[in-house]
Amino acid sequence: MSKEHLAIANIPMQDYGEIYDDKKALCTGTIFEALDMPFFATDIEKGNKKSALFGTEKKLPEQEEREQLMTQITEVSFVIDDLTLYLDTHGDEAQALSLFEQKLTERETLKKQFAEKFYPLTRECIPYCGKKEDGRFCWQTGPMPWEGACV
Amino acid sequence: MWQYEKRLQFPVKITKTCPKTAQMIISQYGGPDGELSASMRYLAQRYTMPVKAVGGLLTDIGTEELAHMEIICAMVYQLTKDLTIEEAKTAGFDAYYIDHTTALWPQAAASVPFTALEFQSKGDAIADLTEDLAAEQKARTVYDNLLRMITDPEVREPLKFLRTREIVHFQRFGEALEKTKDQLDSKNFYYFNPEFDKDKFHGKL
Repeated sequence: MSKEHLAIANIPMQDYGEIYDDKKALCTGTIFEALDMPFFATDIEKGNKKSALFGTEKKLPEQEEREQLMTQITEVSFVIDDLTLYLDTHGDEAQALSLFEQKLTERETLKKQFAEKFYPLTRECIPYCGKKEDGRFCWQTGPMPWEGACV
Repeated sequence: MWQYEKRLQFPVKITKTCPKTAQMIISQYGGPDGELSASMRYLAQRYTMPVKAVGGLLTDIGTEELAHMEIICAMVYQLTKDLTIEEAKTAGFDAYYIDHTTALWPQAAASVPFTALEFQSKGDAIADLTEDLAAEQKARTVYDNLLRMITDPEVREPLKFLRTREIVHFQRFGEALEKTKDQLDSKNFYYFNPEFDKDKFHGKL
């Protein structure tokens, strides 16, 4: 596997290595420290990152809570996204597999909570929807993802 | 089968209208190295991949690219949703406005419409995976160029996220190529096409 060959691309297989926590992983774009290779033009921003991503304006408590839960879902889901691709090429990596399963369980719980309190993110969440308006179909409740209403 | 989840893979909340920025970013929707092109490339190539795990990887990355397309579209939408006609005229968004108002339409920054000619599905695993490696690099360069020009942090954060994804995908396609090579003769990877000469690939000869 590690042997290099002529006249074809050779890419070393990645080792599992150091893993970022959920928040840092989403912010960076990968859970793997070894694949975090920023562009020089982004060096200047260090320090003011948080205020840039999350607005400082006053929010209603419900909005605050919804954004917190949505942020957690986004972070956990991203860890799963990145681990999926890693496991596609490292199917027998036990550490990755165990983190993957742990995050899947976390995600299910969070999605259920989100549906109970706010609106369903997937069709599977519809039965948990707490805000059924007179028995109406609740799939269309909540803002569309591109409206920027959450965060 | 695909299922929709009502959230973005990375949050987008842009509060300042800027048609000029929208005009640049739209290239990652419908441009030559854009997310739509990436998704269609991988989802087209996967059917005939000789190594099953590589077909699986193409499916997963092709799916993630659809989510990236949605992030880019959300950015273009939020950058132009409160557009005034004066802003459209002065920011060079006027030609786009005439044809599409503020709706989303896949085109490159230089107004060239999206076309399937931007990617290839060659039916040769080594050729296709090598194209995929190059595609991720070209998309990374677009994000580099955008990050040089755009100063609004609300726009930069998702762009930085997407840029890192290109690097991660490059690594995974490299690993997929290694997995394909493992099943071929390392003295001559090009003796036959594993995607077409199936008897030779499965060692029946």
